[in-house]
Amino acid sequence: MHLNGMLYGSRLLGHVDFPASEVLGPDAGEDAIQDLIARHGLIFVKPVFRGGVGKKGKAGLIGKARDLKTALAEKERLYFAEHRHGNAFAKANGVTFEAGIPAEHEVYFAITDDTHFRAPTMTLTHRGGVEIEDLDKSDIATVPFEALTGLKAFVVANALTDIGAPREIISPLVQHLPKLWELMHHYGMTTLELNPIRMRPGRDGRLTPVACDFKCGFDRDDPRVGRLGLPDQLFAADISAFEQEVNQLRTHQGQSDVFVINESGTILAPTFGGGANSLVTEVLGEAAIISSDFGGNPPYEKMKAVASICYRHFLPQTNVLFIIGGKSNNTDILETFRGMGDALREYFAAHGPTPLYVVVGRGGPNLVRGMGNLTETLESLGLPYRFFGFDSAISEVVNYAKRVDTWMRAGGRDEIAATLGLKAAAA
Amino acid sequence: MYHKGIEGFPYFLGLRSLADIATRDDRVCVLNVLGGESRTVTPTSHAFSGGNVVFGTSPGRGGQVLKTPVGDIPVYNNVREGLDAGHAFDTGVVYLPPSGVRDGVAELVRVNPGLRKIVIITEKISVHDAREIRAMAQANGIDIIGGNCLGVADSWNRVRIGGALGGDKPEESLLKGSVAIFSNSGGFTTTIAQYLATAGWGTTTLVSSGKDVYIHYAAPDFAHAFGNDDRSKAAVLYAEPGGYYEQGIDWTKPVVACVVGRWKSKLTRAVGHAGAMAGSGDSAEDKERWFMGAFGVPGLFTPENPVVSAKGAVVTNIADIPAALTAVMALNGAAPDFAPRGDLALKPWVANDQGLRLPPELAMPAVTAPEPYAGQIAALGAQVGAVVARQNMKDKSGASVMDPKTQVTSVHGHSVLDLALEPLEATFALPLVHEIATENDRAMLDVAVAAEVNLVGDPILVAADAAREAGNAPNAVMATAAAIVGPKRVERALGCTRALIGLFAHSGLRDGRDEEFDASGIVCDDATRALFLATEAEAADPRPEAMLAAIAARGGRSAFLKFLGGLGGRLSRDAILAAIATTIAWGPLMRKRISRLTAETLPWYLRLYGVMVGATIPGEHHRSGSLWGIPRDERFGQWTMADLCFLAMTGKKPTPEEALPLQMLVGLLISNGPGSISAQGAKGAVSADGPQTPARVQINKAMVGFLTHTGYSHGGNGFEGMAFLLEQFKDAGLTDPSDPAHGLDLKAMATAFARTYRREKAQAKELGTEVRALPGVHHPVFKGKPVNHDPRERFIAEFMARQGKYNVFHAFYRELVQALHDQGASPYVFCVNVDAVIAALLLALLWKDFKSGTLTERDLETAAFTVFLYGRMIGAAAEIDDHLNRGRNMDTRTPPPACGFVV
Repeated sequence: MHLNGMLYGSRLLGHVDFPASEVLGPDAGEDAIQDLIARHGLIFVKPVFRGGVGKKGKAGLIGKARDLKTALAEKERLYFAEHRHGNAFAKANGVTFEAGIPAEHEVYFAITDDTHFRAPTMTLTHRGGVEIEDLDKSDIATVPFEALTGLKAFVVANALTDIGAPREIISPLVQHLPKLWELMHHYGMTTLELNPIRMRPGRDGRLTPVACDFKCGFDRDDPRVGRLGLPDQLFAADISAFEQEVNQLRTHQGQSDVFVINESGTILAPTFGGGANSLVTEVLGEAAIISSDFGGNPPYEKMKAVASICYRHFLPQTNVLFIIGGKSNNTDILETFRGMGDALREYFAAHGPTPLYVVVGRGGPNLVRGMGNLTETLESLGLPYRFFGFDSAISEVVNYAKRVDTWMRAGGRDEIAATLGLKAAAA
Repeated sequence: MYHKGIEGFPYFLGLRSLADIATRDDRVCVLNVLGGESRTVTPTSHAFSGGNVVFGTSPGRGGQVLKTPVGDIPVYNNVREGLDAGHAFDTGVVYLPPSGVRDGVAELVRVNPGLRKIVIITEKISVHDAREIRAMAQANGIDIIGGNCLGVADSWNRVRIGGALGGDKPEESLLKGSVAIFSNSGGFTTTIAQYLATAGWGTTTLVSSGKDVYIHYAAPDFAHAFGNDDRSKAAVLYAEPGGYYEQGIDWTKPVVACVVGRWKSKLTRAVGHAGAMAGSGDSAEDKERWFMGAFGVPGLFTPENPVVSAKGAVVTNIADIPAALTAVMALNGAAPDFAPRGDLALKPWVANDQGLRLPPELAMPAVTAPEPYAGQIAALGAQVGAVVARQNMKDKSGASVMDPKTQVTSVHGHSVLDLALEPLEATFALPLVHEIATENDRAMLDVAVAAEVNLVGDPILVAADAAREAGNAPNAVMATAAAIVGPKRVERALGCTRALIGLFAHSGLRDGRDEEFDASGIVCDDATRALFLATEAEAADPRPEAMLAAIAARGGRSAFLKFLGGLGGRLSRDAILAAIATTIAWGPLMRKRISRLTAETLPWYLRLYGVMVGATIPGEHHRSGSLWGIPRDERFGQWTMADLCFLAMTGKKPTPEEALPLQMLVGLLISNGPGSISAQGAKGAVSADGPQTPARVQINKAMVGFLTHTGYSHGGNGFEGMAFLLEQFKDAGLTDPSDPAHGLDLKAMATAFARTYRREKAQAKELGTEVRALPGVHHPVFKGKPVNHDPRERFIAEFMARQGKYNVFHAFYRELVQALHDQGASPYVFCVNVDAVIAALLLALLWKDFKSGTLTERDLETAAFTVFLYGRMIGAAAEIDDHLNRGRNMDTRTPPPACGFVV
């Protein structure tokens, strides 16, 4: 859950009275844009990306305009701009018009939880407006601080002194930056980055920090995010309809974490345990439809609901239903297998049979009872299966599932379809 | 602002040695001890650790206890109450929901000055709270392990604190040895311990660290305590991407590091482990490099390329850990702790390829699992047949389903359209064995039913004739007969079936036809033997020999008949029926497609089939040794089910041309899903007897239930279509309905009717009366398009066309729907529905006999109803068996709020 840009950034900064550049949204009229240019001389036109993608400036995705004609041309160029950075891909839907802030000083500021220190940590430099990685270490202050007392003015003052920041920016930053801790800590953020903060001179020459770009990450496990009243669709680009459905079942009892890896994969692998998730995701690669963790001892009803959603979205294309986890510590195998089996039975009842090979690798409480229950279901559905206990290497079981998938692709699927009385295999 | 702990750390760390993390001296307080997870895990931990939990808390539930194998754990409303009651503890375990964890930590820290460490099991703690928890613990000098972890365990001390390391059987995985484990994954902590045992390595202390953003007890902390633990000669560390915890650690003893999660860099969101998201410099590859640097190895360890140093090795697959550790320790001159226990090769515990031929490397046979699992699996294996969970089956069926879009019903996965193309004898057993019968099974079925059809000398015949003479419709006649085939009439046949299943259940016989099967090891006691053999009272019954001869003549094979033949006595008819039923049911039973109950009741259905068909033949035709003039041997040895049905309707054997339409008719009529009235009657009858005590359910009465729920509207209306066609064709001079050169102008006939019908319609509108409905035309689902089709009608029409078969009545219907539209009698071209197909097929079948006067119009009506009953008898058997297996007592009731009162 990431949020980028000033369209919402300026609103969020308003919660803690942190000054921000004036911004107009995608629906701004020509009069309003003209007015913004008239007052500020220079405006920036930036594409609105949902979620978080960085390095927009380097990709030439920030337009500058000093007149309406240029502003509108930039709007047209950037409105549906596409941007790929690392593994993240984003498509814009709209632009913002942001007032240019004339300033001599640009400041970079960020707070995140740094695992070096296991504490909230401020990163600060007076040489902002560029990529932080490009700067000399001595220009950057990285300062952990105590979470209970928070980011205090003296922490900022000390840091600025340490990196030799110009005297005139110290006082205004010491006054304003601690507010950002309030925003970060009390509204469920995991990171907050303002770059640049431009130091705007007032009439008396005194500088005011003005946030000109905004990035933050939210903690999906923190209900404080709700205090901001942000519309859900802001984060919709992050997740598919399937993930959205599963996420609605997200409670602390039993994981229901899913990520769609390959919409056209052929192995559906309900996975139990974070470690198993890493390993399974690693070994299955593109063959996997989803990466998931359903561990944490989900109750029967939840397991069945999650499985039903998985089946509804992906079973028709699935060659191998692969239920995999290590030797569970407290997840009840009977309850989880019963949930997944009953959901499968219901799927077959509602949508008819689909060719599947079922591979299971699992250990844990009530293991054999769970296996027995699931085999009953598979027998009654006429599905072939092979179950491994916890004494087979989990990685080998994953490889086995992959080999079955290969066989399914090479005609096995049709063979199973024939035994199920299906005229042709769907996938 | 941190409490001073171990020297040299820029933060508080109190745990000096792994030997101190989980000891027998630790006294534990569990917060939310009665929560769902703690309730199952804490008793095992408590018992394994010699009773280390002094009390638990659960606000509002003070005074309760948590029962454990080693005594009750008292529960208090809060920590203070527990301390006030005189309990002392130094270790807190937190099972609170995520939003309560921070406050729970605060409670432990503030209320108990004797606190030393806290284990947090809870997952999905917000980063906000984790920050504050860290700060509180640091300020007060408390070690925290977790969150989102499974706690810690010590194989030497036999203690586990917090979560469920080792699952419900910690002694299985926590084997004393020389290796410490630190793992980001709770599940893998146990799994790694178990894998190590396969190479002979046991464990000292196991730490499940969790993998949130904040890892409160992290790799550097572990490294320090590991260095100070003399018991630990080596360590295994399992890490995932994200965080710098593993960077720059100076390991003082050998370590195998397992880094998993390269692929995770393709994910843009954490799955499972909240902290397992890499930033710019903490990816899986980065971590691999950190460890390779620390161990001085140039690459990753794989079985093919075992790169190790005396300091350690880096693997990316947890299965490689044991080999890597052994290799590293060999360089240190250390041998494993004990002899290897098991191995990690692929070992399927249970498997069924459902008859598919998989490549040999995939089709590996199931192996014996380690105990106690092997015993449990064996117990499962002893279970013969499928086990189906019971549920409310009102308006539901596990046997049939109608697709509301196509209106095509399927029975056990076979659509009635496909069934219409199968020989009747192939579909008769379908409701019960869930599979289309094989050639062998068909031969067996034909004999079984043929042996029941002739009712001479049986009171059933008298009753059926009386019912017929009283003016009843064929369903009531059949019901009269079925009512008499009560439990006592099948007692011995069912007993024989039960006995056969019992004798062969664990014999290894997979195929009931396998006469080569060595049954010499199957011993039959005298009482069972007597059950199979004919009694003196049955000495005059010629049927057993006739049945055996017929089976031999048809080439039928049965391991059970062969076995019974070896008993050295004259077999009873019941025993032969049981052997036939068991032969047919055996494969599906062994493959767990059907339940043992279904297999054991199969003879009842077969007997009912025979009697119900037999009862439709008037009594005068039942003679000793012949039925309607057909000698017994011929009937047993050659006749099929379809032949018998045709005989019952027409008094003669059908030609192959006649058999096909009859087979199609019966197939189409098998089922219309659980919502049809006939199915409801059958299900209600089962429900009323109580399927939860299946031995009391009268299957014959359930058949009566189906029969009473058919009638002139439901079943008898097949005649309406015939009557309509008769009216159209009565003076047309038609001789052979299957001859395309019939010489009739069907289009002109259809147009003439359509004109008349249009006038009728207009008149009716003027008068405000109902216009007569046209049977076989139009359908509430298949309507509204310019031209409409009933897919069932299309299916049959296309099949007939492929076979080169012609039906003049069907052709007339096609002309009729077009003419109705052309003449303005219908707004669009109606479909010809499946009822029209049925009427056309049946009328064509009986046309010659009707024209010759052998059959009257009344006979035609009876025939239409009867053929419906034959088909639906199969569908009803499916519903009866399904409800018997799945349903609950009285589950077809409608609850009062769903009922209405009408004035």
